[in-house]
Amino acid sequence: MTSEVTNIVVEVLPRFEGYVYPNEATAHPLWGFLIVLYPYITGLVAGAFIMASLVRVFKVKALEPVYRLSLLTALAFLLCATLPLLFHLGHPERCYEIMITPHLTSPMAIFGFVYAWYLMAVLLLELWFDYRQDLVEWSKTTAGFKGIIYRIFTVGVTDVSPPAVALDVKMGRILSVVGIPSAFLLHGYVGFIFGSIKANPWWGNAIMPIIFILSAIVSGIALCVFNYMVLTWIRRHTVEMRCLDTMAMFLFYALLVDAAVEGLDWIHRIYAAEEGFSVMQTMIREKLFYTLNLGQATIGTLVPFLLLGSLQLLRRRVPEMVRRRMISASAAMILIGVLAMRWNVVIGGQLFSKSLRGVMGYKMEFAGVEGWFMGILLLGLPFVILTVLVKLFLSERLPTSGHTPHGSSTT
Amino acid sequence: MKTQFNRRGALARLGGILAGVLALPVARTAKAAVQRVFVSSGAARGYDPSKHKWLMCIDVNKCIGCGLCAEACKKENGVPEGPYFRTWIERYIIPKPKPGSGQTRGETLVDSPDGGMHGFPESPVPRDQIEHSFFVPKLCNLCEHSPCVQVCPVGATFDAPDGAVLIDPKYCIGCGFCIQACPYGCRFLSPVTKTAEKCTLCYHRITRGLKPACAEICPTQARIFGDLLNPVPDDPIQKFYEQNRVQVLKPYLGTAPRVLYAGLDKEVR
Amino acid sequence: MRRFQMPPQILRLVLLTLAIVGSYMVARVFLTPATFGQYGWYRGAALEELAARTPVYAGKKACDECHSDILHKLAGDAHKTLSCEACHGVSRTHADDPDILPVKLTGSHCIRCHEANPSRPAWFKQIVVKDHYSGKCTECHIPHQPTQSP
Repeated sequence: MTSEVTNIVVEVLPRFEGYVYPNEATAHPLWGFLIVLYPYITGLVAGAFIMASLVRVFKVKALEPVYRLSLLTALAFLLCATLPLLFHLGHPERCYEIMITPHLTSPMAIFGFVYAWYLMAVLLLELWFDYRQDLVEWSKTTAGFKGIIYRIFTVGVTDVSPPAVALDVKMGRILSVVGIPSAFLLHGYVGFIFGSIKANPWWGNAIMPIIFILSAIVSGIALCVFNYMVLTWIRRHTVEMRCLDTMAMFLFYALLVDAAVEGLDWIHRIYAAEEGFSVMQTMIREKLFYTLNLGQATIGTLVPFLLLGSLQLLRRRVPEMVRRRMISASAAMILIGVLAMRWNVVIGGQLFSKSLRGVMGYKMEFAGVEGWFMGILLLGLPFVILTVLVKLFLSERLPTSGHTPHGSSTT
Repeated sequence: MKTQFNRRGALARLGGILAGVLALPVARTAKAAVQRVFVSSGAARGYDPSKHKWLMCIDVNKCIGCGLCAEACKKENGVPEGPYFRTWIERYIIPKPKPGSGQTRGETLVDSPDGGMHGFPESPVPRDQIEHSFFVPKLCNLCEHSPCVQVCPVGATFDAPDGAVLIDPKYCIGCGFCIQACPYGCRFLSPVTKTAEKCTLCYHRITRGLKPACAEICPTQARIFGDLLNPVPDDPIQKFYEQNRVQVLKPYLGTAPRVLYAGLDKEVR
Repeated sequence: MRRFQMPPQILRLVLLTLAIVGSYMVARVFLTPATFGQYGWYRGAALEELAARTPVYAGKKACDECHSDILHKLAGDAHKTLSCEACHGVSRTHADDPDILPVKLTGSHCIRCHEANPSRPAWFKQIVVKDHYSGKCTECHIPHQPTQSP
């Protein structure tokens, strides 16, 4: 047995300083880049959904041009949200167990249900009620494969009489209202997965879910801005400045709240300076220097904060062209910054020993399940799905029905 | 109207099937609950997990750091080579403080080369500069409130009725959550089975009336293994906690370990 | 009299939901392992499966069956706490078939424990090998009765 084992396992001794428990001295952290992507992607889903709810629940009319786009964005990313988790499992073929015998004291066990609820009971349903009238019409007018797809999505319901459509609108609104706490639940519980680990002082923190939700909203709105800009650019449409400015405004205030709460977390950590404080100082000064100080704090928070903040003050005086550039740049930087934040949480929590006497190193590889290649693939996949969804459901060639998300008709 | 009526009938029928389906697993569990002793061929027959409560006591003053326990554990359980240990020994070297530093002691050095299974190299601090030095054997702390069991999403790791914290290798999905949740670093993801692994208290030995390999092999009886529900005459376990003031590791985490230590220092975590 | 009629889209959704929940319930029955829940939220059969492995170390009791004389000697001296396999190595094969002899011991085994080390407790007998004696340990010490000389 032992000799076989020796042949299989080739161990490259990692670099670590101080003392780490022997089981922690592995070449790679247990949770790698895939688990960085997992909260990132779910966060984008939750954020994009909140963005859509602004239109539906809070009736922010200026955002109507991005309502459907943000819902489709949420769907595209939600469809990919399970993949990083699945790939990192030691036994992916046993994943069904999480639904069959969910151990209810585990935050991770709820995942199957929260995910299923959010995908099927909230997002798909809201999309369906919103699109039903269009789907019925398109299924009649479109031939070929696309027509079949539309027909399948109507689920055989062709009633588009005014009372039926009125019901659709009502249901959509109810679902949106249900959807907001669901989006909070979806991402709050992801935060709780980390926040509940009392063994790890970097993670075990009561406001971790709140930080995750807030950064999710920030990243989701940024993604919608990004997608909207890309879509108008591809289609050579003009950007609706009222919509973009409103998105920038919500992005700014979301970022403000997020930065305040994260700052509070840091102040608490530094002020309390508990048992693991010295090892954390080493982490911030050495191991996470670039991703934390440069990625999360500067690129992800400070610069977009200044850019968007100055736009709030001086909006009228900044020419449209410059405003567009500033908002797009802020959105892109926030997307990078939130990814860096997820990295700092997930990887950072595994770069020091739970003996609090040493730190480990981590160098990402290109190949392999937890490598760069896989990561880029998994980050690209939602965009591919989104392209297909946009082609199917946001096509310019298709006529759209008159009704708007909150029921009043536009001209 | 007619189709509507038929649908209702179908719904009622569906409901009936659902009710039956829901009741089935419960009935099966109730039937299984009657059987409480081991009957399968390989295991020790007649072992009743509810009639035992195992624990391990460790006397730090007796550990000589020979590493036989860590080595025996790897052999007994086929633990993969490399940084994978179900039990290991740590060496603590606490130097004397620098004169005039105003400290009670110098900066503590801890190491565990290869889990201590091949012994330890010469101390990096000369003997006359050492204030305290000792070895601490580590293993699964057999927590009463095990954080690892709490977080397992599928019920693949569990507190057995006899107090052992075990992993079902056929059911573990290898998510690694339990490894993150263990405050003592006692779990690892096996590169061979791709599941989490940990100390089983040598479950195949203790159910046969043998001691775990580490306790069996320890030359100084630094590790004392026993059963709280079946005290033996002149019980070493009883003696241990009557004669020592005992401590557990990281008590502030509320895990309530059943691995008790005597003679720990504040530097040990 | 107008009967209440469920709107078609809602009815369709209710049926879909029932179908999904129903198939989940059916899947649960077939995919839940038989002994799951026997003792707690886990597969009860796992206990027996884990217990089914064959021990590698035979244990002192097995040695006592044939070598009770040596064990008796051992029990009367300083090495009384030692397990046979601590020095003689894994001896299960020998216990099963006495013709297969356990590993021959060398003196280097003694110093694994008795080499002086500042981390070892003071009560424990330690020597600095290079200052002690260059020959074999067994020239002066009987391993089973370490306080006596041959």
